[in-house]
Amino acid sequence: MKQLTKIKENRYFLEVFPFAILFLLLLVFGLGTGGRFFAKANITGIFNQALITATATIGIAFIYTTGNLDISIGAVIALAATVGGKIYLATENVVIMILVTLLICLALMAWNSTLSVSLHIKTTTAAIVMMQIYKAIQESLVGAVDLAVPFAICSALEKSSFRIITLLMYMVLAIVIYNFTPFGRAIRFIGGNENCATQSGLRKSTYIRLSFLIAGVGVGLSAVYTIIRVGTITTSTAGSMGMDVMLATVLGGMSIFGGDRSKCYAGVLGAITVVVLNKGLLMMGVDNSLVQGIRGILFLLLVYLNSERPDVLPTRKQF
Amino acid sequence: MREKGEVVLEVRNMCKNFGSTIALNHVDFQIRKGEIRGLIGENGSGKSTVSSIIAGMQPATDGEMFYHGKPWKPKTMLEAAKAGIGMIVQEAGTIDNITVAENIFLGNAADFLKGPFVNRKAMTKAAAKALTDCGIDYINASYPTRLLDMQKRKLVEIAKVMSLNPEILIVDETTTALSQRGRDILYKIMHKLADAGKSVMIISHDMEEMMTHCDVLTILRDGEIIDNLDKQDFEDSKIKKLMVGREIQGNYYRNDNDTWSDEVVLKANYITTLNDLMCFNLELHKGEILGIGGLSDCGMHALGRALYGLDEVIDGEVVLTETNTVVKDSIIAFQHGMGYVSKNRDSESLELMAPVKENIQSTGYWKNIWKKPLIDFKKEKKYVTDQVESLSIKCRDINQPVRFLSGGNKQKVVFGKWIAADSSILILDCPTRGVDVGVKASMYQLMYEMKKQGKAIIMISEELPELIGMSDRLLIMRDGAVSGEFYRKDGLNEHDLINYMI
Repeated sequence: MKQLTKIKENRYFLEVFPFAILFLLLLVFGLGTGGRFFAKANITGIFNQALITATATIGIAFIYTTGNLDISIGAVIALAATVGGKIYLATENVVIMILVTLLICLALMAWNSTLSVSLHIKTTTAAIVMMQIYKAIQESLVGAVDLAVPFAICSALEKSSFRIITLLMYMVLAIVIYNFTPFGRAIRFIGGNENCATQSGLRKSTYIRLSFLIAGVGVGLSAVYTIIRVGTITTSTAGSMGMDVMLATVLGGMSIFGGDRSKCYAGVLGAITVVVLNKGLLMMGVDNSLVQGIRGILFLLLVYLNSERPDVLPTRKQF
Repeated sequence: MREKGEVVLEVRNMCKNFGSTIALNHVDFQIRKGEIRGLIGENGSGKSTVSSIIAGMQPATDGEMFYHGKPWKPKTMLEAAKAGIGMIVQEAGTIDNITVAENIFLGNAADFLKGPFVNRKAMTKAAAKALTDCGIDYINASYPTRLLDMQKRKLVEIAKVMSLNPEILIVDETTTALSQRGRDILYKIMHKLADAGKSVMIISHDMEEMMTHCDVLTILRDGEIIDNLDKQDFEDSKIKKLMVGREIQGNYYRNDNDTWSDEVVLKANYITTLNDLMCFNLELHKGEILGIGGLSDCGMHALGRALYGLDEVIDGEVVLTETNTVVKDSIIAFQHGMGYVSKNRDSESLELMAPVKENIQSTGYWKNIWKKPLIDFKKEKKYVTDQVESLSIKCRDINQPVRFLSGGNKQKVVFGKWIAADSSILILDCPTRGVDVGVKASMYQLMYEMKKQGKAIIMISEELPELIGMSDRLLIMRDGAVSGEFYRKDGLNEHDLINYMI
């Protein structure tokens, strides 16, 4: 145990760890599937799915950094994608579909932050409740028949550079905001010690609201990519996204407890690793329910490895 | 003076390294039955490290320990406590969201099992007895601990340690968190234990306290034992010299009678808060060091928080007179050049997990700008290194997490934050709490220099000598109001001040 603590407290541990895990998984699945894992179609599939998870994870990193944990992402994406799909079917205008999807996500994330910041409801509690409500609305909007956006539109968008360009733009913007602006510094400090941040004159509420809005853009893009990828919106769309984002965060080497150990680009590598893990296990014939179990155990292990809060430290009230 | 008994604990050749930092370097000493041994030394000298190893908080890198003649290597504090070595830690050692009774019997709840359930009634009753046995009869054992202030929590910790009837009691810089009443309770416990043939090891920076209550003083410097002094050899200047390795002048307070400007920079107009303050008035002048003293619960700490906008002012207002700005919250206070050093350093003034640089940078996010809103990394680095160098903060480099620094160096980081921010009004709540004489001297010097620069300082303190030594004007508080106002030019006398406190 002491050896483990020593390893995880090494300053380079978090830099090397995400790559080591991904490399290990690629090696195991490559050997386990007799090389089928590296087939072009599979790699393309991993890329397309990782794109969705990575975008959401980059955004959600801003919320996690402040020490808040919003797990309603899957429901937000599902609801926004449903409304976006319906808007397209009504207007047949892709631009309006994209804008509406983004706006819905921004609005829902803004509402989540209001519950947390203005009404002082713990973010996790608010997210659990809102997740149920968003999901219920989405299910009633979808109705008995799945919502299908024409394949031609989805395929055209998938083949275009739309997704790559928007993801890169968002990622660069997020990295700049996170690492090169006072805002990025401030949210890390807030996540580390709210009291101290308040006494240092930081606008805690404003910064947390802004974090939710920046995350809203990422989640919105992720919802748009979901429409493009699946075309058909069902009641199970983005069902595992909440867990995927958390897992991608820790697999990327970031702490979900926020603070100084946070980094927003962690999600990109983490997202690839999550998708590799999901696909790899399924290709090796592992039952889907067992996959969920493995993911859960891995998540707990990673959270442990990623946490370095001594017992004597004040615990944040969010958890 | 008590007779020295047989050796109960022996430390041989103990070493402790944190990476490349040597915290303890071949330390040898003994604790005897019936003695109160003081460990004294500058911040970072290794006092807390050696005591924490004895109490099972962390292992030594090398060396041996013997307890009652047998090898001693505790894996946890609970193991040590059950074997008879109890420690009251320097920082918060209680858990917020459980009751006082649950804190006292933390790890020993099995003693109160009734079938599969814990008998809370019995536990609360036993906790109340443990508190009363220590002379603490004003804390309700069934209360949630979060409702208690820092001092009462420390008393709960004392009761917790004493409930296990320790053979050796280790008191690590606890008295700074206690008022005189709390200190008296602790001293009584210490002497009672020693008289009963048990042992006490106390760490404190309060020289007077150590010289009054200890039988032997072990002096540490840079992880090594410099000397062991018996009571008859106690001499203030000698101890200080041994501690820092150079002569320290007997009086490190200012000895001038400089005046201050007539210009009022901060005004509290009949402020009332939810707790502690009722129609409180105060004026702070440019270039003034205004001392605020009193008993711990007189409202002086709440005053500091209210002036900085941290506690809600429900009536009246705090005004920055130059711009006629009402201080409604800490953001307004900060933006108008105010700074605040909290009494609770680790939980409020520092982000312990973050490095030195992140902590100091936190007051300069919007100052170290290249082109809005982008940070100028060069400026930011200078912002930090200037403070690390001028305050002689002992750290590996500016990337070292603050939690690895000693208490005095942590406090220097806190000061560094506000000096770097060039705050013109500073509210310092117990600024020298838990720091050694060397650091204290530099803090006082710093305060005096800031005064000369025209900055206004409110120094809240429970230590009368430093209030007398540093204040231009001194307000003594009692029950949330000013009970006496004194001026440096008239001469300040400790005895007179105490009369206004009680």
